[in-house]
Amino acid sequence: MARVPIVQGEHHVAGEPGLVISTLLGSCVAACLHDPVAKLGGMNHFLLGEPGDDNPVPKAEMTRYGIHAMELLINGLMKRGAQRSRLRAHLYGGASIVANLGDIGQRNGLFARKFLQTEGIVLDRCELGGTQARKVEFMPYEGRVRSSLVRDVPLPPVAPVKPVVEAESSGELELF
Amino acid sequence: MPAASAIKVMVVDDQTSMRAMIRRALQDLGFKDIRDKPSAVEALPAVKADRVHLIISDYNMPDMDGLQFLEAVRADGTIGKTVFIMLTGSADKEVVQKAAALGVNNYVVKPFAPAALKEKIERVFGELT
Repeated sequence: MARVPIVQGEHHVAGEPGLVISTLLGSCVAACLHDPVAKLGGMNHFLLGEPGDDNPVPKAEMTRYGIHAMELLINGLMKRGAQRSRLRAHLYGGASIVANLGDIGQRNGLFARKFLQTEGIVLDRCELGGTQARKVEFMPYEGRVRSSLVRDVPLPPVAPVKPVVEAESSGELELF
Repeated sequence: MPAASAIKVMVVDDQTSMRAMIRRALQDLGFKDIRDKPSAVEALPAVKADRVHLIISDYNMPDMDGLQFLEAVRADGTIGKTVFIMLTGSADKEVVQKAAALGVNNYVVKPFAPAALKEKIERVFGELT
């Protein structure tokens, strides 16, 4: 069985029978989207809701934000033939595990729910909150998800947020 | 230095949340007259009927993508010179080259922070007040 593990800031779209996309979540949220007609699905894993003017995250790490992570996932699905109106969602994560992170998990969960509501995407299953990490395994072809609470398992390290320093050459084309 | 409050903007993106985020970013920059549409198909007649100074449009949209929208705008005798800023994905260099050939004024690579949008707008209009 093929497995595709993803970490914070990543997403993956697939439509192969039996393939599993997996991730491990603490305060982060993962959205699993599935198009039951196209037999396609995808999962992302994001750290924060959306950037503000004072955001401390460098451009290269903007996919940590849910608003961009969700768009990348939806666009990835649509490129493969999914239709936005058919998408069904599952949400996982948003736990409060580390005390000094405040209510970041709760805010991530609220963002994710509001995003789906705003975009008109049906939420079939929602396992947000709590105080334990979760392991999520999503079968995108079948649209099946298995989620389990994890005790005493170290979470993937959260990369420190660096100050905003744009690289001199970001690989973008310079037009003007 | 143009006053942001005097610039009429049309924001086009098929994702409601992204339109809302761009709208908030523009409001923070001082823009007052902000319209938005979920598709280029709806935005094109809207900007023809009521002209704007600036169009900020996503590239990746169903039915009519950002390049087709840009082409239609540039081909129109009335709105052809409207400033057009395209939002693209990081892997869309070919799209940017095509957009440049079609006369795009600038582009912003998604995902982006509000400061990046400000910078790209100011490169076209000059420093906003």
